[in-house]
Amino acid sequence: MFKPEITIHSDDPRVQEFLERIENGEKIEVDDWMPDDYRLQLIKLIAMHGISEIMGAFPEKEWVPKAPTLKRKLSLMAKVQDEVGHGQLLIRVAEDLMHPLGKTREDLIEDLFSGRLKFHNVFHMPAPSWADAALIGWLVDGAAIVTQKMLAHTSYAPYARALKRIILEERFHAYHGEDMVIALGDGTEQQREMMQDALNRWWPALLMFFGPPENGEIKSNQEINIRYKIRSKTNEELRQEFLDKYVPQIRALGLEVPDDNIYYDETKKQWVYTHPDYTYLRDVIAKNQGPRSQNRLNLRKIGFDNNEWVREALLHNQKAIS
Amino acid sequence: MSKDVKDYDVYEVFSQKEPTGKFESQFSLLAPNADVALAMAQENFMRREEVPSNLFVVKRENIHFMPPEKRKALLRLDNKDYRQPSHYGYIPSKWRELKEKNAPKASV
Repeated sequence: MFKPEITIHSDDPRVQEFLERIENGEKIEVDDWMPDDYRLQLIKLIAMHGISEIMGAFPEKEWVPKAPTLKRKLSLMAKVQDEVGHGQLLIRVAEDLMHPLGKTREDLIEDLFSGRLKFHNVFHMPAPSWADAALIGWLVDGAAIVTQKMLAHTSYAPYARALKRIILEERFHAYHGEDMVIALGDGTEQQREMMQDALNRWWPALLMFFGPPENGEIKSNQEINIRYKIRSKTNEELRQEFLDKYVPQIRALGLEVPDDNIYYDETKKQWVYTHPDYTYLRDVIAKNQGPRSQNRLNLRKIGFDNNEWVREALLHNQKAIS
Repeated sequence: MSKDVKDYDVYEVFSQKEPTGKFESQFSLLAPNADVALAMAQENFMRREEVPSNLFVVKRENIHFMPPEKRKALLRLDNKDYRQPSHYGYIPSKWRELKEKNAPKASV
Protein backbone atom coordinates (compact mmCIF):
# COMPACT_ATOMS: atom_id res chain seq x y z
CA MET A 1 0.00 0.00 0.00
CA PHE A 2 1.29 3.42 -1.02
CA LYS A 3 1.87 5.66 2.01
CA PRO A 4 1.15 9.32 1.40
CA GLU A 5 4.22 11.39 2.27
CA ILE A 6 3.14 14.87 1.28
CA THR A 7 -0.35 15.72 2.51
CA ILE A 8 -2.61 18.66 3.19
CA HIS A 9 -0.93 18.94 6.62
CA SER A 10 2.64 18.95 5.26
CA ASP A 11 4.88 21.94 5.72
CA ASP A 12 5.80 21.97 2.04
CA PRO A 13 5.49 25.22 0.05
CA ARG A 14 4.10 23.24 -2.91
CA VAL A 15 1.07 22.20 -0.84
CA GLN A 16 0.31 25.84 -0.08
CA GLU A 17 0.66 26.77 -3.74
CA PHE A 18 -1.55 23.83 -4.71
CA LEU A 19 -4.27 24.87 -2.25
CA GLU A 20 -4.13 28.42 -3.60
CA ARG A 21 -4.69 27.12 -7.12
CA ILE A 22 -7.69 25.14 -5.86
CA GLU A 23 -9.08 28.14 -3.99
CA ASN A 24 -8.76 30.24 -7.16
CA GLY A 25 -10.98 27.74 -8.93
CA GLU A 26 -8.17 26.36 -11.11
CA LYS A 27 -8.49 22.80 -12.39
CA ILE A 28 -5.79 20.19 -11.88
CA GLU A 29 -4.54 17.99 -14.72
CA VAL A 30 -3.01 14.51 -14.47
CA ASP A 31 0.56 15.72 -15.00
CA ASP A 32 0.35 18.63 -12.54
CA TRP A 33 2.16 18.28 -9.24
CA MET A 34 -0.30 17.18 -6.53
CA PRO A 35 -0.06 16.20 -2.86
CA ASP A 36 -0.13 12.43 -2.28
CA ASP A 37 -3.37 12.50 -0.33
CA TYR A 38 -5.12 14.40 -3.17
CA ARG A 39 -4.08 11.64 -5.56
CA LEU A 40 -5.12 8.86 -3.16
CA GLN A 41 -8.51 10.37 -2.36
CA LEU A 42 -9.21 10.73 -6.08
CA ILE A 43 -8.15 7.15 -6.87
CA LYS A 44 -10.35 5.82 -4.09
CA LEU A 45 -13.37 7.86 -5.16
CA ILE A 46 -13.07 7.45 -8.93
CA ALA A 47 -12.16 3.75 -8.89
CA MET A 48 -15.18 3.11 -6.69
CA HIS A 49 -17.38 5.19 -8.97
CA GLY A 50 -16.14 3.39 -12.11
CA ILE A 51 -16.44 -0.09 -10.66
CA SER A 52 -19.91 0.74 -9.32
CA GLU A 53 -21.02 1.62 -12.87
CA ILE A 54 -19.74 -1.73 -14.16
CA MET A 55 -21.21 -3.71 -11.25
CA GLY A 56 -24.45 -1.73 -11.61
CA ALA A 57 -24.97 -3.28 -15.03
CA PHE A 58 -25.59 -6.67 -13.38
CA PRO A 59 -28.85 -5.96 -11.55
CA GLU A 60 -30.11 -4.02 -14.59
CA LYS A 61 -29.23 -6.62 -17.18
CA GLU A 62 -31.26 -9.25 -15.32
CA TRP A 63 -34.38 -7.65 -16.75
CA VAL A 64 -33.18 -7.38 -20.34
CA PRO A 65 -34.36 -10.87 -21.38
CA LYS A 66 -37.60 -10.46 -19.40
CA ALA A 67 -38.55 -6.93 -20.52
CA PRO A 68 -42.30 -6.74 -21.25
CA THR A 69 -41.97 -5.35 -24.80
CA LEU A 70 -39.34 -5.12 -27.52
CA LYS A 71 -39.22 -1.32 -27.13
CA ARG A 72 -38.56 -1.66 -23.41
CA LYS A 73 -35.87 -4.22 -24.11
CA LEU A 74 -34.09 -1.96 -26.62
CA SER A 75 -34.05 1.08 -24.36
CA LEU A 76 -32.97 -0.98 -21.34
CA MET A 77 -30.10 -2.48 -23.33
CA ALA A 78 -29.03 0.99 -24.48
CA LYS A 79 -28.99 2.07 -20.87
CA VAL A 80 -26.97 -0.92 -19.66
CA GLN A 81 -24.46 -0.21 -22.42
CA ASP A 82 -24.22 3.40 -21.22
CA GLU A 83 -23.42 2.23 -17.69
CA VAL A 84 -20.57 0.05 -18.91
CA GLY A 85 -19.36 2.94 -21.07
CA HIS A 86 -19.33 5.20 -17.99
CA GLY A 87 -17.29 2.55 -16.21
CA GLN A 88 -14.78 2.61 -19.09
CA LEU A 89 -14.37 6.40 -18.86
CA LEU A 90 -14.01 6.48 -15.10
CA ILE A 91 -11.59 3.59 -14.89
CA ARG A 92 -9.36 5.38 -17.42
CA VAL A 93 -9.34 8.43 -15.15
CA ALA A 94 -8.38 6.26 -12.16
CA GLU A 95 -5.70 4.42 -14.19
CA ASP A 96 -3.93 7.62 -15.18
CA LEU A 97 -3.82 8.62 -11.50
CA MET A 98 -2.50 5.19 -10.46
CA HIS A 99 0.16 5.12 -13.17
CA PRO A 100 2.92 6.83 -11.10
CA LEU A 101 2.26 4.28 -8.35
CA GLY A 102 2.92 1.41 -10.78
CA LYS A 103 -0.66 0.16 -10.58
CA THR A 104 -2.91 -0.88 -13.45
CA ARG A 105 -6.47 -1.86 -14.26
CA GLU A 106 -5.65 -5.42 -13.21
CA ASP A 107 -4.88 -4.21 -9.70
CA LEU A 108 -8.31 -2.59 -9.59
CA ILE A 109 -9.99 -5.83 -10.60
CA GLU A 110 -7.95 -7.80 -8.07
CA ASP A 111 -8.82 -5.28 -5.37
CA LEU A 112 -12.49 -5.64 -6.29
CA PHE A 113 -12.39 -9.42 -5.97
CA SER A 114 -10.47 -9.32 -2.70
CA GLY A 115 -12.87 -6.76 -1.21
CA ARG A 116 -10.28 -3.97 -0.87
CA LEU A 117 -12.00 -1.86 -3.53
CA LYS A 118 -15.54 -0.98 -2.54
CA PHE A 119 -18.52 -0.53 -4.84
CA HIS A 120 -22.03 0.76 -4.20
CA ASN A 121 -23.36 -2.64 -3.26
CA VAL A 122 -26.10 -1.10 -1.12
CA PHE A 123 -28.07 -1.35 -4.38
CA HIS A 124 -27.25 -5.01 -4.96
CA MET A 125 -30.55 -6.49 -3.93
CA PRO A 126 -32.96 -8.87 -5.64
CA ALA A 127 -35.15 -7.25 -8.32
CA PRO A 128 -38.14 -9.59 -8.33
CA SER A 129 -40.55 -7.63 -10.54
CA TRP A 130 -40.50 -5.34 -13.56
CA ALA A 131 -41.39 -2.54 -11.15
CA ASP A 132 -37.97 -3.04 -9.52
CA ALA A 133 -36.34 -2.53 -12.92
CA ALA A 134 -38.39 0.65 -13.33
CA LEU A 135 -37.51 1.83 -9.84
CA ILE A 136 -33.79 1.28 -10.42
CA GLY A 137 -33.96 3.41 -13.57
CA TRP A 138 -35.89 6.12 -11.78
CA LEU A 139 -34.55 6.43 -8.22
CA VAL A 140 -31.25 4.54 -8.11
CA ASP A 141 -30.14 6.51 -11.15
CA GLY A 142 -31.76 9.59 -9.64
CA ALA A 143 -29.63 9.25 -6.51
CA ALA A 144 -26.51 8.78 -8.62
CA ILE A 145 -27.38 11.85 -10.71
CA VAL A 146 -27.61 14.03 -7.58
CA THR A 147 -24.09 12.96 -6.54
CA GLN A 148 -22.64 13.22 -10.03
CA LYS A 149 -23.96 16.74 -10.57
CA MET A 150 -22.09 17.82 -7.45
CA LEU A 151 -18.93 15.97 -8.50
CA ALA A 152 -18.97 17.64 -11.93
CA HIS A 153 -17.59 20.74 -10.17
CA THR A 154 -14.59 18.78 -8.89
CA SER A 155 -11.15 20.40 -9.00
CA TYR A 156 -9.71 17.45 -10.95
CA ALA A 157 -10.21 18.26 -14.64
CA PRO A 158 -10.14 14.75 -16.18
CA TYR A 159 -12.85 13.58 -13.76
CA ALA A 160 -14.92 16.67 -14.54
CA ARG A 161 -14.56 16.01 -18.28
CA ALA A 162 -15.69 12.39 -17.88
CA LEU A 163 -18.63 13.51 -15.73
CA LYS A 164 -19.72 16.08 -18.30
CA ARG A 165 -20.24 13.31 -20.82
CA ILE A 166 -21.78 10.97 -18.23
CA ILE A 167 -24.30 13.60 -17.08
CA LEU A 168 -25.40 14.24 -20.67
CA GLU A 169 -26.19 10.54 -21.00
CA GLU A 170 -27.83 10.43 -17.59
CA ARG A 171 -30.47 12.83 -18.90
CA PHE A 172 -31.65 9.96 -21.07
CA HIS A 173 -31.48 7.60 -18.07
CA ALA A 174 -33.62 9.90 -15.94
CA TYR A 175 -36.33 10.13 -18.61
CA HIS A 176 -36.03 6.42 -19.32
CA GLY A 177 -36.71 5.65 -15.66
CA GLU A 178 -39.55 8.18 -15.44
CA ASP A 179 -41.12 6.75 -18.59
CA MET A 180 -41.21 3.30 -16.97
CA VAL A 181 -42.59 4.39 -13.60
CA ILE A 182 -45.21 6.67 -15.13
CA ALA A 183 -46.53 3.71 -17.16
CA LEU A 184 -46.80 1.60 -14.00
CA GLY A 185 -47.83 4.30 -11.50
CA ASP A 186 -50.50 5.60 -13.87
CA GLY A 187 -51.52 2.08 -14.87
CA THR A 188 -53.82 -0.53 -13.34
CA GLU A 189 -54.33 -1.03 -9.62
CA GLN A 190 -52.06 -4.08 -9.76
CA GLN A 191 -49.32 -2.14 -11.52
CA ARG A 192 -49.45 0.62 -8.93
CA GLU A 193 -49.23 -1.97 -6.17
CA MET A 194 -46.16 -3.48 -7.82
CA MET A 195 -44.62 -0.02 -7.95
CA GLN A 196 -45.42 0.65 -4.28
CA ASP A 197 -43.89 -2.72 -3.28
CA ALA A 198 -40.71 -1.93 -5.16
CA LEU A 199 -40.53 1.52 -3.56
CA ASN A 200 -40.93 -0.01 -0.10
CA ARG A 201 -38.14 -2.48 -0.82
CA TRP A 202 -35.65 0.11 -2.12
CA TRP A 203 -36.36 3.11 0.10
CA PRO A 204 -33.87 2.39 2.94
CA ALA A 205 -31.08 1.62 0.42
CA LEU A 206 -31.79 4.86 -1.45
CA LEU A 207 -31.39 6.92 1.73
CA MET A 208 -28.34 4.93 2.82
CA PHE A 209 -26.57 5.43 -0.50
CA PHE A 210 -25.64 9.01 0.46
CA GLY A 211 -23.91 7.86 3.64
CA PRO A 212 -24.52 8.71 7.30
CA PRO A 213 -25.51 12.30 8.14
CA GLU A 214 -22.73 14.49 9.52
CA ASN A 215 -24.79 16.12 12.29
CA GLY A 216 -22.34 18.97 12.35
CA GLU A 217 -19.33 16.69 12.68
CA ILE A 218 -17.53 16.43 9.39
CA LYS A 219 -15.07 13.55 9.32
CA SER A 220 -11.47 14.40 8.47
CA ASN A 221 -11.72 12.36 5.27
CA GLN A 222 -14.66 14.41 4.04
CA GLU A 223 -13.08 17.64 5.19
CA ILE A 224 -9.99 16.92 3.08
CA ASN A 225 -12.19 16.22 0.04
CA ILE A 226 -14.07 19.46 0.59
CA ARG A 227 -10.88 21.54 1.06
CA TYR A 228 -9.41 20.03 -2.08
CA LYS A 229 -12.74 20.74 -3.79
CA ILE A 230 -12.98 17.11 -4.86
CA ARG A 231 -16.54 17.34 -3.54
CA SER A 232 -18.52 20.36 -2.46
CA LYS A 233 -21.52 19.05 -0.50
CA THR A 234 -22.05 16.85 2.54
CA ASN A 235 -23.93 13.53 2.61
CA GLU A 236 -26.93 15.14 4.24
CA GLU A 237 -27.07 18.03 1.76
CA LEU A 238 -27.13 15.53 -1.10
CA ARG A 239 -29.84 13.42 0.55
CA GLN A 240 -31.96 16.55 1.05
CA GLU A 241 -31.59 17.38 -2.66
CA PHE A 242 -32.69 13.86 -3.53
CA LEU A 243 -35.79 14.22 -1.33
CA ASP A 244 -36.51 17.68 -2.80
CA LYS A 245 -36.67 16.23 -6.26
CA TYR A 246 -38.23 12.82 -5.74
CA VAL A 247 -40.74 13.05 -2.86
CA PRO A 248 -43.01 15.24 -5.04
CA GLN A 249 -42.63 12.78 -7.95
CA ILE A 250 -43.48 9.82 -5.72
CA ARG A 251 -46.62 11.62 -4.53
CA ALA A 252 -47.55 12.69 -8.06
CA LEU A 253 -47.65 9.01 -9.01
CA GLY A 254 -50.14 8.38 -6.22
CA LEU A 255 -47.55 6.37 -4.29
CA GLU A 256 -46.70 6.72 -0.64
CA VAL A 257 -43.26 7.47 0.73
CA PRO A 258 -42.65 4.47 3.01
CA ASP A 259 -42.01 6.66 6.04
CA ASP A 260 -44.90 7.71 8.31
CA ASN A 261 -42.84 10.48 9.86
CA ILE A 262 -41.56 12.32 6.81
CA TYR A 263 -42.45 16.01 6.44
CA TYR A 264 -40.94 19.20 5.09
CA ASP A 265 -39.93 21.65 7.78
CA GLU A 266 -40.77 25.03 6.21
CA THR A 267 -38.76 27.08 8.70
CA LYS A 268 -35.58 25.02 8.41
CA LYS A 269 -36.22 24.43 4.69
CA GLN A 270 -35.38 20.77 4.97
CA TRP A 271 -36.90 17.31 5.16
CA VAL A 272 -37.38 15.60 8.49
CA TYR A 273 -37.55 11.84 8.06
CA THR A 274 -36.73 8.46 9.59
CA HIS A 275 -33.10 7.59 9.01
CA PRO A 276 -32.25 4.08 7.91
CA ASP A 277 -29.95 1.97 10.06
CA TYR A 278 -26.53 3.20 8.97
CA THR A 279 -24.74 0.51 10.99
CA TYR A 280 -25.95 -1.82 8.21
CA LEU A 281 -23.67 0.14 5.84
CA ARG A 282 -20.66 -0.33 8.08
CA ASP A 283 -21.24 -3.89 9.26
CA VAL A 284 -22.81 -5.53 6.21
CA ILE A 285 -22.45 -3.46 3.05
CA ALA A 286 -18.85 -2.35 3.62
CA LYS A 287 -17.98 -6.04 3.96
CA ASN A 288 -19.70 -6.92 0.67
CA GLN A 289 -22.27 -8.97 2.61
CA GLY A 290 -25.42 -7.36 1.17
CA PRO A 291 -28.21 -9.62 -0.16
CA ARG A 292 -26.74 -10.01 -3.66
CA SER A 293 -23.21 -8.61 -3.22
CA GLN A 294 -21.36 -11.90 -3.41
CA ASN A 295 -23.55 -13.18 -6.22
CA ARG A 296 -22.83 -10.13 -8.38
CA LEU A 297 -19.10 -10.20 -7.56
CA ASN A 298 -19.11 -13.80 -8.63
CA LEU A 299 -20.75 -12.89 -11.94
CA ARG A 300 -17.98 -10.35 -12.51
CA LYS A 301 -15.37 -12.96 -11.72
CA ILE A 302 -16.88 -15.49 -14.09
CA GLY A 303 -16.95 -12.85 -16.84
CA PHE A 304 -13.33 -11.90 -16.16
CA ASP A 305 -12.12 -15.51 -16.18
CA ASN A 306 -14.13 -16.54 -19.23
CA ASN A 307 -12.78 -13.64 -21.26
CA GLU A 308 -9.15 -14.15 -20.37
CA TRP A 309 -8.41 -15.90 -23.66
CA VAL A 310 -9.97 -13.00 -25.59
CA ARG A 311 -7.83 -10.41 -23.83
CA GLU A 312 -4.76 -12.50 -24.46
CA ALA A 313 -5.57 -13.29 -28.09
CA LEU A 314 -6.11 -9.61 -28.88
CA LEU A 315 -2.64 -8.77 -27.63
CA HIS A 316 -0.82 -10.77 -30.24
CA ASN A 317 -0.78 -9.66 -33.84
CA GLN A 318 -2.77 -12.33 -35.47
CA LYS A 319 -1.56 -13.60 -38.81
CA ALA A 320 -4.06 -15.05 -41.25
CA ILE A 321 -3.85 -18.82 -41.37
CA SER A 322 -3.31 -19.75 -44.98
CA MET B 1 3.98 -15.71 -18.43
CA SER B 2 0.78 -14.67 -20.10
CA LYS B 3 0.34 -11.06 -21.03
CA ASP B 4 -2.76 -9.24 -19.89
CA VAL B 5 -4.45 -5.89 -19.87
CA LYS B 6 -1.41 -4.27 -18.28
CA ASP B 7 0.23 -4.52 -21.69
CA TYR B 8 -2.59 -2.70 -23.46
CA ASP B 9 -1.93 0.83 -24.70
CA VAL B 10 -3.71 4.08 -23.97
CA TYR B 11 -5.25 5.61 -27.10
CA GLU B 12 -6.60 9.14 -27.34
CA VAL B 13 -9.80 9.35 -29.38
CA PHE B 14 -10.66 12.21 -31.75
CA SER B 15 -13.70 12.77 -33.89
CA GLN B 16 -15.02 15.18 -36.44
CA LYS B 17 -18.67 16.22 -36.65
CA GLU B 18 -18.58 17.40 -40.25
CA PRO B 19 -15.98 17.39 -43.04
CA THR B 20 -15.13 21.07 -42.53
CA GLY B 21 -15.23 20.85 -38.72
CA LYS B 22 -12.24 20.67 -36.39
CA PHE B 23 -11.01 17.51 -34.74
CA GLU B 24 -12.37 17.20 -31.26
CA SER B 25 -10.84 15.18 -28.43
CA GLN B 26 -13.38 12.69 -27.07
CA PHE B 27 -11.52 10.89 -24.30
CA SER B 28 -9.03 8.04 -23.99
CA LEU B 29 -9.38 4.28 -23.87
CA LEU B 30 -7.27 1.19 -23.27
CA ALA B 31 -6.87 -1.24 -26.16
CA PRO B 32 -4.51 -3.97 -27.39
CA ASN B 33 -4.17 -2.49 -30.90
CA ALA B 34 -5.47 0.30 -33.15
CA ASP B 35 -8.24 -1.80 -34.73
CA VAL B 36 -9.77 -2.67 -31.40
CA ALA B 37 -9.24 0.91 -30.25
CA LEU B 38 -11.27 2.19 -33.21
CA ALA B 39 -14.05 -0.32 -32.63
CA MET B 40 -14.20 0.61 -28.96
CA ALA B 41 -14.07 4.32 -29.79
CA GLN B 42 -17.14 3.92 -31.97
CA GLU B 43 -19.01 2.01 -29.23
CA ASN B 44 -17.89 4.32 -26.44
CA PHE B 45 -18.22 7.74 -28.04
CA MET B 46 -20.43 7.57 -31.14
CA ARG B 47 -23.61 6.16 -29.65
CA ARG B 48 -25.54 9.39 -29.95
CA GLU B 49 -23.61 11.58 -32.37
CA GLU B 50 -25.92 12.76 -35.13
CA VAL B 51 -23.88 12.37 -38.32
CA PRO B 52 -20.26 11.98 -37.32
CA SER B 53 -18.01 12.18 -40.31
CA ASN B 54 -14.76 10.76 -38.96
CA LEU B 55 -13.17 9.08 -35.98
CA PHE B 56 -9.54 8.36 -35.23
CA VAL B 57 -7.26 7.13 -32.47
CA VAL B 58 -3.66 7.98 -31.59
CA LYS B 59 -1.44 6.11 -29.18
CA ARG B 60 -0.95 8.51 -26.32
CA GLU B 61 2.81 7.91 -26.27
CA ASN B 62 2.91 9.51 -29.74
CA ILE B 63 1.31 12.73 -28.56
CA HIS B 64 3.57 15.37 -27.09
CA PHE B 65 1.86 17.25 -24.32
CA MET B 66 3.00 20.64 -23.12
CA PRO B 67 4.36 20.18 -19.59
CA PRO B 68 2.55 22.04 -16.77
CA GLU B 69 5.27 24.69 -16.30
CA LYS B 70 5.19 25.56 -20.02
CA ARG B 71 1.39 25.71 -20.11
CA LYS B 72 1.66 28.93 -18.11
CA ALA B 73 3.41 30.49 -21.12
CA LEU B 74 0.19 30.03 -23.09
CA LEU B 75 -1.25 32.98 -21.20
CA ARG B 76 -0.87 36.00 -23.46
CA LEU B 77 -0.25 39.48 -22.16
CA ASP B 78 -3.40 41.45 -22.75
CA ASN B 79 -1.74 43.99 -25.01
CA LYS B 80 -2.22 42.51 -28.46
CA ASP B 81 -5.49 44.06 -29.50
CA TYR B 82 -3.99 44.96 -32.88
CA ARG B 83 -4.39 41.24 -33.72
CA GLN B 84 -8.17 41.50 -33.33
CA PRO B 85 -10.62 42.66 -36.01
CA SER B 86 -12.39 44.70 -33.33
CA HIS B 87 -9.29 46.90 -33.06
CA TYR B 88 -10.12 48.16 -36.57
CA GLY B 89 -13.74 48.89 -35.85
CA TYR B 90 -13.47 52.53 -36.97
CA ILE B 91 -12.95 51.45 -40.61
CA PRO B 92 -16.50 51.10 -42.02
CA SER B 93 -17.53 54.58 -40.85
CA LYS B 94 -14.23 56.01 -42.04
CA TRP B 95 -14.91 54.63 -45.53
CA ARG B 96 -18.29 56.32 -45.55
CA GLU B 97 -16.74 59.57 -44.45
CA LEU B 98 -14.04 59.38 -47.14
CA LYS B 99 -16.54 58.53 -49.88
CA GLU B 100 -18.56 61.59 -48.98
CA LYS B 101 -15.54 63.84 -48.70
CA ASN B 102 -14.01 62.80 -52.00
CA ALA B 103 -17.17 62.25 -54.01
CA PRO B 104 -16.82 63.71 -57.54
CA LYS B 105 -18.35 67.16 -57.49
CA ALA B 106 -21.56 67.32 -59.46
CA SER B 107 -20.84 69.26 -62.64
CA VAL B 108 -22.52 72.62 -62.79
